[in-house]
Amino acid sequence: MAAEPGRQAAPKEALDADGQPAVPAALEQDFDAGSLYALRSAVAAHAADAGLSPGRVYDVVAAAHELAANAIRHGAGHGRLRLWTAEGVLTCQVADNGTDPGGDLGVHPEATEWPVQFSHGLWMVGHIADRFTIDHDQPGTIATFTMTL
Amino acid sequence: MAADASAQITELAMDDHACLTFGEEEELLDLTSAFVRDGLKSGLKVVWLSDGLPQLAELGRRGVQVPPDGGRGQLVTAGCEGQLLSGRAFRADSALDWLSRQVESARENGFPGLRVAVDMGWALRPVAGIEELPKFEEGIAAALAGTAASVLCQYDRERFDPVTLASVAGSHTRSVAAATYHADAVLRICRQYAPPGIRIAGEIDYQAEEALALALAEAVRLGGDVVINLAALAFADARSTAMIADAVHTMAATGTVVLRCQPPVAAGFARLGLEGLAGVRLAADGR
Repeated sequence: MAAEPGRQAAPKEALDADGQPAVPAALEQDFDAGSLYALRSAVAAHAADAGLSPGRVYDVVAAAHELAANAIRHGAGHGRLRLWTAEGVLTCQVADNGTDPGGDLGVHPEATEWPVQFSHGLWMVGHIADRFTIDHDQPGTIATFTMTL
Repeated sequence: MAADASAQITELAMDDHACLTFGEEEELLDLTSAFVRDGLKSGLKVVWLSDGLPQLAELGRRGVQVPPDGGRGQLVTAGCEGQLLSGRAFRADSALDWLSRQVESARENGFPGLRVAVDMGWALRPVAGIEELPKFEEGIAAALAGTAASVLCQYDRERFDPVTLASVAGSHTRSVAAATYHADAVLRICRQYAPPGIRIAGEIDYQAEEALALALAEAVRLGGDVVINLAALAFADARSTAMIADAVHTMAATGTVVLRCQPPVAAGFARLGLEGLAGVRLAADGR
């Protein structure tokens, strides 16, 4: 069953003190609504390269897509995805860069956070990932999921 | 409006000389199967000329009832050589004679009419007399005048050059293509005619929500047994999967629904509880 994102700490072992990848990301790609197809394609290539089966590659792509789509639709309208593997775990992190698409940043800073309601997309991420967290401590929002290799 | 053609394949009338343009073999086989199916159902004689396609197998796969032994000649499937072509040469007059003989033979054998489907792919190969193609297309109108016969010429819009397509277009009484709800490099959503339903190919996400909603609404309106063909769909996001699942629930209340999809897409539907739902068959092998 889905973990409850936002109520768990991020998987610290994969991140350094600043919440950044402890190892260099194999994939680091900016995205917006016009580049989701390219993002999925890049994630698929890297997940396959990490040795996941075709079915689990699809799951990683689907989960990454949902997080990116959430950032686009409910967050800044664009963001950055990082994906890396370390110690038998694939980690995928999607960050909304914290700028408000409406341009009223500073007036309603909370508006930059995704309204994390449990849409089917996020439910699905929780369902297929081994761990799934959403962290609001950063400027913007960082969502992270992991899959054991 | 969903349809991007002047007629649907299911709306063709007697003495129509229709031009079907298709972008992929699946579309050609789907539309032609519907043309054959509706002809057979109306008791007409049907002749389908095509080179290299497993015609009878495709009809069977698409649920078209093929009469045993061709129904005393009701259904004839053949290649173009020996019919439109002779010794890999084309002559408009000979081809028009062939067509007139078909019309006459159908009438003599007591059929109330004739349907002829011709895959024009032969015209892409080195065939002598190809320059007579426009003359043939032009002559069909006279051959069909006053008869109960209709002809469906099939042109691959990717492979025929625009000049050829334009030179024959004017000879046709109607143009036919699959009703298309969305088409770009990544995604295609269109009606499916045989069996009835919709077909989605490529990758779909929430950005195609409007087109998907329209396609699903029309599939719901079809009623009866519906096939949602996702065999060539490589990715469906959560939003699209949920929308399709909702429509399937509605359709399953009044008929049966077959969802043809690849295993990872099928897993998305299974996650939403479609597996084992009464009236729904989740065909995860894509067939």
